[in-house]
Amino acid sequence: MTSKAEIAVEKFLEKTDSEAASFFEACVHCGICAEACQFHLATGDPKYTPTYKLRPMERAYKREKAPFSSLKKMLGLAPKPVTEEELIEWGPLVYDSCNMCARCTLVCPMGIDIAGTISKMRAGYEAAGLAPEGLERSVEFVKKTTSPMGVTIKALSAQIKHQEKATGLKIEVDKQGADYMCTFSSSEIMGYPEVLGAYAKLFDRAGVSWTISSVAYEATNVGVQIGSASLAKEIVTRVVESAEALGVKAVISPECGHAYGAIRFAGPNLMGRQYKFEVVHIIEVIDQLRREGKLPAGKKDARKMTLHDPCQIVRRGGLLKEPRRLLDDSCSNFTEMKYAGKANFCCGGGGGVSANERAEELRTEAFSLKVDQLNGVDGLEAVVVPCANCRSVFEDGLDAYEMDLEVLGLAELVAETLAEPDEKQG
Amino acid sequence: MSFLNFVEGPLFTFAAAVFVLAALWRLIGIIRIGRTKDISPPKGSAAVGFIKGNLRHFIPRGIFAKRTMVHLVGGYGFHLGLFVLVFFGVYHIDFLNERILGFSWPALPRWAFLLTSAIAFSGLIMLWVRRISDPVMRLISDKDDHIGSWLTFLVMLSGCFALEQAHDSLRATHMLLVDIWLIYFPFSRLMHGFTFFLSRGQSGATYGRKGIDL
Amino acid sequence: MLMLAAFAAPIAAQSVRPPGNAVNLDDGIEDGPSNALGDISDTEIWDNFRGGNPRELFAAAPEGQVMTTTGQQWRVVREKLIRKYLGWLPVIVIGLLAVFYLIRGPMKITGGRSGKTIPRFTLSARVAHWFMAGVFIILGLTGLIILLGRVVIAPYLGLEFNSVLASAAMQGHNLFGPVFVFALIWLFIKFVRGNFFQWVDLKWIFKLGGFFGGHVSSRQFNFGEKSWFWMVILGGILISVTGIIMLFPTLVDDVRWLQLSTILHALGAVGLIAVAIGHIYVGTIGMEGSIDSMLKGEVDENWAKEHHDLWYEEVTGKSATAPETTEDAP
Repeated sequence: MTSKAEIAVEKFLEKTDSEAASFFEACVHCGICAEACQFHLATGDPKYTPTYKLRPMERAYKREKAPFSSLKKMLGLAPKPVTEEELIEWGPLVYDSCNMCARCTLVCPMGIDIAGTISKMRAGYEAAGLAPEGLERSVEFVKKTTSPMGVTIKALSAQIKHQEKATGLKIEVDKQGADYMCTFSSSEIMGYPEVLGAYAKLFDRAGVSWTISSVAYEATNVGVQIGSASLAKEIVTRVVESAEALGVKAVISPECGHAYGAIRFAGPNLMGRQYKFEVVHIIEVIDQLRREGKLPAGKKDARKMTLHDPCQIVRRGGLLKEPRRLLDDSCSNFTEMKYAGKANFCCGGGGGVSANERAEELRTEAFSLKVDQLNGVDGLEAVVVPCANCRSVFEDGLDAYEMDLEVLGLAELVAETLAEPDEKQG
Repeated sequence: MSFLNFVEGPLFTFAAAVFVLAALWRLIGIIRIGRTKDISPPKGSAAVGFIKGNLRHFIPRGIFAKRTMVHLVGGYGFHLGLFVLVFFGVYHIDFLNERILGFSWPALPRWAFLLTSAIAFSGLIMLWVRRISDPVMRLISDKDDHIGSWLTFLVMLSGCFALEQAHDSLRATHMLLVDIWLIYFPFSRLMHGFTFFLSRGQSGATYGRKGIDL
Repeated sequence: MLMLAAFAAPIAAQSVRPPGNAVNLDDGIEDGPSNALGDISDTEIWDNFRGGNPRELFAAAPEGQVMTTTGQQWRVVREKLIRKYLGWLPVIVIGLLAVFYLIRGPMKITGGRSGKTIPRFTLSARVAHWFMAGVFIILGLTGLIILLGRVVIAPYLGLEFNSVLASAAMQGHNLFGPVFVFALIWLFIKFVRGNFFQWVDLKWIFKLGGFFGGHVSSRQFNFGEKSWFWMVILGGILISVTGIIMLFPTLVDDVRWLQLSTILHALGAVGLIAVAIGHIYVGTIGMEGSIDSMLKGEVDENWAKEHHDLWYEEVTGKSATAPETTEDAP
C-alpha cells in the first residue's frame, strides 16, 4: 500500500520540471521574499516566508531527483524523507497563506516563481487527498452544478431576465455564430448581476453580437485552484466544446483572476490541443473596442476612485495599462494607491484562499494591508476592483474593518459612463 | 614538493577539475529534466522573456528597498566586491596568467584593492549576521548556508592575510582554502552563482510567453 | 581548527622573503657621496642635533632641528610599559569576572521567565551590533597579535611562527580597519537614541548597578549600557583617527604624531577589549535572558521588568511592579 506521503512525493517529483528544479537549485535562503508576502507582513510570522512554504517539495526533489542526489543518499547527506505529518503541518502554508499572487517573484533576486511552484505542489496534496475541506466542498458543487457556488442555469436565467428588464436589451442564450461567448464567475452571477446588463449595454453599443452558453457559463476553475488536473481539464473542456459547438469567434474571460490563466494558458495544455476560437479577457475586449472608437466615453464619474490590481490579471496576466486607460476615460478623479500596478497587494483571497474556510481569519488579517493602502488615499469614495473574487473579499474585508467604501466592477463603470448615443465623442 | 607547490599545483588542478566537471554535470542534470512543451498560443516571446528575466532581476525594485536595505547593501557590496577582487586583484591576475590563461590585464591599484576588500568583507559579514539574527533567516537557513558563508569568508580572510606575500605558508593556506572551496562549490548552494541564470531565465520565459512585462 | 591545521602543515617548508613591495636599500648607493660624515665628529654636533631634554617625552622640536629623539622615548614606552603591562589588563578582567561568577553566580530572572516576550532591538539594530562585534573580534585578535606576538607568541612558538602570524595579522588588521569606521558610524546611528544620560542613572550608580544585590530602575538602557555605548563611540573615534593616521602616514607631517598614534591606539584598543569582555559576560552567562535581546530581538517580560522597569512601562503601558493583570483589564 502506498502512503499518502508517497503519493504526494511521487506527484511532487512528476511536477518538478526543469523550471521548478532550477528554482529549488537557485534559492539561496536569503529570506527577502518574506518582505513581499502579505501574510508575513500582516502577521510577522516567519513561517509565512514564501520559500519556506515550498520546503517539503524542495526536500523531495533534493532527495530523489536532483543531480548528485543518489551520491548524497549513499553518503547519508541527503535530506530526510517527507512524512505525512509534515505535509499536514504544511497544508495551511500551501493552501491558506498563499494567494499565488507572485509578489515574491518581484523581489526575489533569483526570480523564482513561487506562486507557480505552489500550484505544482498543490497537485501533490490533491493527489494524496490532503487538500483542505472548504475547497473539496467547492469541488462537490462543481461536479453537481458546474459552479463552485452551486449556481444553476435556472438561477442564471432569472438574473438574465432581470437584467433584460433593467436595460431593455435582449441577452441571448446559446446563440449560434455569435462573435463572443461570455463566461462569468459564480459570484458575479449571484452577487453582482448588473455585470450582465453592463455587457449587454457595451456590446450593443459596440455593435458586436454575444451570447451566454447554457452549459458553460461558469468561468472559474476550482480544479486549477485545488491542484487537480483532471477536474481542471473537465471544466475547461466544457467551455471549449460549448464554444466550438456555438461557433463563436472568441470566448471572453470575465473580471476574475485565475479564470483567465486557466482557460487561456493552462487549458490547451490540459486538453492537449489548441482551440478553434480565441480567448480574450473582458478588459482587453473593452479596451480594444474603446480604442477602435466603438465605445465612446461620455460624462465622467466625479467621485474619487482608486484601482485595485487583481494579481492574476495584472502581475500574472500582464493587463497593466488597459484598466488604467479605461479608468482615466471613466473617472475624473482617479488616484493611484501606494504600490499600485505590478507590486500591488493581493486582496488576500486569491489562490483559492477565499474558498477555504479554514483560512478566513488569516485572510482578514492579510486584508489589513489593503486597508492601509486604501486609507492612504485621502477622501477616497470608491474602489474599482476588476475581479469578482477580489470584489467579494473586499466587501467582507471592508465590513470587518468597518470601512464605508463603494466597490465597483470595471465593466459596469465603463457601461455607466458611456457617451449617450447622440452625444458627440468627448 | 613543498606544501605550497602541492596546493598550487596538483591539488589546485584536481579542485579546478572537480569544480568544472561537477558544476557542468549539475547544470546539465537540471536542464535535462526538461519541461513539457506549452501548446497554448503564446502572447509574447519566451526567449526574450528568458533574457529579460535575467536582466530584470539584477536591478532591485525601489518599493522594496527600505524593507530589504541590509540585503541590498550587503548583497551587492559582497558580490560586486568579490567579483572585482577575484578578477582584478594583482596576485590573482598573475596566477591566472601564469597557470591558466597565459595573458593578463590591468589590475586594481593597492588602495582600490583594499577599499574593495573592505566593501566585500562588510557585505559578507552583514549577510551572515542577518542570517543569524533575523527570525525568518533563522527558520529557513540550513547547514549548507552557514558552511558556504564561512568557507567563502575564510578564503577571503586567508587571502587578505597573505597580502604581504612574504610567507609561503600564508599563501599556501589561502590556496588550500581555495581548493576546498572549489571542491565544495558544485555540491552546495554556492552553485547559485551558476543556477541563477536558469532560475531567472525560466520564470522570465514563462512570464514572457504570457506577454507579461516583468 | 582548519586554519591551525593549515598553518601547522606548511610551517616546516617555510621560506621567508622580503615583502612583495619591499625596496632593496642597497640599490644604487655603492657610489654614495664621499666623506659623508664630514671631518669633525664631536659631542657638540650631536647635542646640536638633539637640541632638547631627552628625558622629556614628546618634546617639541624647535624650528630647523635636524633630528628628533622621540623615537627612542617612544620605543621605551612601547617596550617597557605597553608590551610589558597592558596585555595583563584583559587577563585581570577575565580573572575578576571568574571570581565574581564563582561567588555570585549568574543573575537569574526573579520569578523565572514569564514566557511572554516584548520586542527590544529591531533587526537592523541587531545586524549593526553583530556587524560591529564581528569586526571588533577580528581587529582585536589581529591587533593583539601585532602588539603582543613578540612577547607572548615568539618565546614559546618561535620567531618564525610569530613572523608569519604577524604578517597575516598586520594585513588583516589594515584591511579591516576602514570597516571598523563604517561599523562605528552605523552603530552610533542605530543606538544613540536612548543612550543619553538621565537622572535615573545616578541611582543606578549609587546601587552599584544591582550587581551586588538590590533593585535598580532604568529606562531602555541603564547606566552601565550607556557608559559602554559612549566608551565604544569615543574610544572608537580615538582608535579610528589614530588608525587612519598609521594607515596613511603621509596625512601628518610630523613623525611624533605617528608615535603618539601607536601608543593611544594601543591604550584605547586594549581598554575597549577589557570592557568588551565584561560586556560579553553580562550579555551571555552573567545574566539570564540578556542574550535573547540580541539574538531574537525580543526579551522576556520578567527580564524587562527586572532590569529595565521604566522602559517596560513605556513600551507596554503596564506597571512593572503590579502583579500580573488579567487580559480583560481595561
